[in-house]
Amino acid sequence: MHAGLDELLNLRDGEPVSDTVRAHVGHCARCTAAIAHTRVLRERLRALPAVPAAATDGWLAVEEQLAATTARRRRAAAFGSLAAAASVAALALFAALRWHEAPVPPSSASSEAPAPVAVDELRSRSQALEAVLAALPARPAVARAGTAVPIESLEAQVQWLDHQILLADAGEPSPATVRLWNDRVEVMSSLVQLRYVEAQTLFP
Amino acid sequence: MTAFLDSDLPAEAITRARDGSAEAREAIYRAFERPVRTLARRLVAGSAQAEDLAHDVFVEILTSLGQFDGRGSFAGWVRAITVRKCLMHLRSPWHRALRWARAAEDGGGIGELPCAAGSGGDALDLERALARLGDTARAVVWLHDVEGYTHAEIGALFGGTPSFSKSQLARGHARLRELLESEGVKASCMPVSTNC
Repeated sequence: MHAGLDELLNLRDGEPVSDTVRAHVGHCARCTAAIAHTRVLRERLRALPAVPAAATDGWLAVEEQLAATTARRRRAAAFGSLAAAASVAALALFAALRWHEAPVPPSSASSEAPAPVAVDELRSRSQALEAVLAALPARPAVARAGTAVPIESLEAQVQWLDHQILLADAGEPSPATVRLWNDRVEVMSSLVQLRYVEAQTLFP
Repeated sequence: MTAFLDSDLPAEAITRARDGSAEAREAIYRAFERPVRTLARRLVAGSAQAEDLAHDVFVEILTSLGQFDGRGSFAGWVRAITVRKCLMHLRSPWHRALRWARAAEDGGGIGELPCAAGSGGDALDLERALARLGDTARAVVWLHDVEGYTHAEIGALFGGTPSFSKSQLARGHARLRELLESEGVKASCMPVSTNC
């Protein structure tokens, strides 16, 4: 019984083989010739020439893609820094808002005639939120419905509140004006949070 | 033996390329262009796919130079990336679907036969026979007999055992012998049906 090709290749490559196979191949001319054939074939494979030179210089295409990849990585890194800065600013702002929103003892005077400071305070908080919003990247052309619909709804609310504030701002600050500014700050806070979530999904 | 060992790249070129030198990057490309293209061409029978893969290999090498820790040879690192990319391609559903589609279209597998200008007749026959092997058998034969990979290494690359590699090597050798002895492999540079 002659050795199988797998056993002959094992013998050729110095892999373990059974003593029976080794003994057989030692005195079998056919199996010895078969091993020699696999050796010749291996040498022929090793002697195959390299592929001919490419018709076009591939380096230009590689260089172009490397430049594009580098630019993409830089943009991602730049956005990462921007997102980090924006998130720190947002966190700081939210912390400040929470601190300012701490309950204060009610006074009859404040409920009837709100101090101008309260409106100024709300206005500056609203402006700070606008700044955070502006620091976030532009919205994508195609957005997820899960975030796009609430964002658009909040933006519409801000527009409506701005219109109401414009109408109410004519005279002295009234409790209604304070409420409007308060609502604007709350809506803007929600808007900033949603826009931040949207940006995170775009540039993880 | 593998052309990877013959590449002569100055050691400082890797450091300079890592530091962003465009000239050093190009030197790496020039040093390994032929070995990478040749290896891709041997592992992946389609020449256009092999060229695309070689391009991808260089983009990966040159964008991940920082990951080369210098423990082994740089040529070995480049070769390992090339082998990994080519095997990933062979395993990809896209490649399998393409093979299936071509087999269905032609009533058998199509081996894209090389038309290497300047190759001797025997070499051309062998290249054609190699191209007509099945993907796995061809890759195992080349990696073991030419690149010097061990059966354990090849088994690991294919997610199998050394025995898997040994059986594929034997299968590849048997098929190569059959093809070289037959008249079919001496046909012109036209696609020829294959069932392997």
